[in-house]
Amino acid sequence: MLTLLRDLRRLRRDLALPRPDQGRSLAIRHVDAGSCNGCEHELTLASSPYYDLQRFGLGVVASPRHADVLLVTGPVTTRMREPLLAAYAAMPEPRLLAALGDCALGCGILGAREEIVGPVEDVLPVDLRIPGCPPTPDAIANALLRLVDTRTTEPTGPR
Amino acid sequence: VRAFAHGFTLAGLYATEGGAIVRAALVSPQGEVRLVSVAARDGAVPTVVDRAYAAAWDEREAFDLYGIRFTGHEPLRPLVNHDLELARWTVPVRGDGPYQVAVGPIHAGVIESGHFRFHVVGDRILHVDVRLFYKHRGLERAAEGRSLADALAVVARACAACAVSNGVAYAHACESALGQSPTEELARGRTVLLELERVWSHLNDIAAVCAGVGLAAGNARFAALCERARRLNATLTGHRFLFGTVEVGRSALELDAKAVRAARDELQAVGAEALSAWRELQFNSSFQDRLPDIGVVDADAVSRLGAVGPAARAAGVRADVRSAALGLAYDGFEPVVPERAEGDVQARLEQRALELWQSLEILNALLDRPLRPATAEPDGGGDAIGVGRVESPRGATLCVVERTDGRLERVRLRTGSYANWPSVAHAAVDNLLPDFPLINKSFELCYACADR
Repeated sequence: MLTLLRDLRRLRRDLALPRPDQGRSLAIRHVDAGSCNGCEHELTLASSPYYDLQRFGLGVVASPRHADVLLVTGPVTTRMREPLLAAYAAMPEPRLLAALGDCALGCGILGAREEIVGPVEDVLPVDLRIPGCPPTPDAIANALLRLVDTRTTEPTGPR
Repeated sequence: VRAFAHGFTLAGLYATEGGAIVRAALVSPQGEVRLVSVAARDGAVPTVVDRAYAAAWDEREAFDLYGIRFTGHEPLRPLVNHDLELARWTVPVRGDGPYQVAVGPIHAGVIESGHFRFHVVGDRILHVDVRLFYKHRGLERAAEGRSLADALAVVARACAACAVSNGVAYAHACESALGQSPTEELARGRTVLLELERVWSHLNDIAAVCAGVGLAAGNARFAALCERARRLNATLTGHRFLFGTVEVGRSALELDAKAVRAARDELQAVGAEALSAWRELQFNSSFQDRLPDIGVVDADAVSRLGAVGPAARAAGVRADVRSAALGLAYDGFEPVVPERAEGDVQARLEQRALELWQSLEILNALLDRPLRPATAEPDGGGDAIGVGRVESPRGATLCVVERTDGRLERVRLRTGSYANWPSVAHAAVDNLLPDFPLINKSFELCYACADR
């Protein structure tokens, strides 16, 4: 265990990720609306030591009730339309919706017409588009940070 | 039926020609695949589930999508069809106070969509109904009607985690239908890609089990190694998941002497760090304590349920498509199994580590010289139907292609995940509900390539 922790500490030092220059927070709820699992694998690694999304106050939460932003992957399948709408309805206002990956944006290879509702914007209003097939963990982190920063209307007070 | 008596096992079954014909793919003990076709009479064919339970999902899917009935398969529960009432797709569980816990399709984390209906007494699981296909995109139908080459992109979109495996299975199926065989160089290039996919995938799976136990340090360590493996993929091929590297009849992948040397060095470094982290896991007693005797799928269950891949080998079943792989560079391959092959979470985790070391060795040997673009060559064969079978990180993946000239008429992709989902449900029985996420992660199946 000590070796594991030592190696992680060393990795952290070697990567020398910059410290965030301001306090932020964004609670993310992820919904897979019919992805190929690529966006999920990259989103998972956005929390790995190489990117450490949490250092910016960004984290994936276990309920839409706790979420600021709904992060949706995949084209919306007919079978995921209702669960997606239910998750969005459960979120407190103000709420944001981010479409993650080319399929969610409607420019990927989607599937048979009768099984797909369409890109996320056909179902819900989209506030943030994160293109890529799949977007890299870096691209995901940067896009979400931009979303927080552009939405921050008041300057952050002293910590 | 006679084939099963001769030791053949079922590798998949599907409906074709609008539901007029059912084809079963059978694998001989030597690893040779044969197709058996049965024409439907009055929209029905006899079921094979009594002989091969592994056909259960295939038959349910064929009924839902092609309307073909399987005489003797009772009750034929829906699989892809979500429109029927609860009682039609759940197994009735009666007795002293069982109740149902419905989980999903959306889960608490970064997890694919799928629904689990647990029948429990207290925390003890009596039965679980797995309802997938929330992510069904009709990719087989979307691919059909395209040219064989164009359809690959649609088939490969089934799953990012198995993109190479599914792509190679499809390419092999097309090439066998077209009467082509990969040259040695093409075989080597594809084998490199398949093993690169296994390396990142197994690193991901070890990280996932650590997360399932709640060992954050182990999860972070193996996630970091998984990231390095994906970065290597990007360096070598331009894509972190190796998308676009597999083509029908050819390979454009080119790695010069410097690139293969750098790849070997990086793989060796990743291997050394993974081994050191793996040893740490061995000596973490609170981690190890969670693993044994949880989520057991023993050798009997493996053969009954048709489990494949690491899940089968962790129960001591030495089945691996790589042992008899045609058109790939696996000469002299021997499957590994753990010493303690109990088919539980512990054994499946150890199986990943053993296979990881083996894949790194294979890559080290294959990358001993530059890799050049290559093509498949005519072998004098060819047929309207072609079959490809590949060992994905999750197990045997079958692809059958039916064509008219260069046009794809029907494609069936049956992945290792598809084969293993019934085993997840089996493994959960008698375990505690809080252990299900760990059991599920010890299989780490894709929902995407089961649902397609």
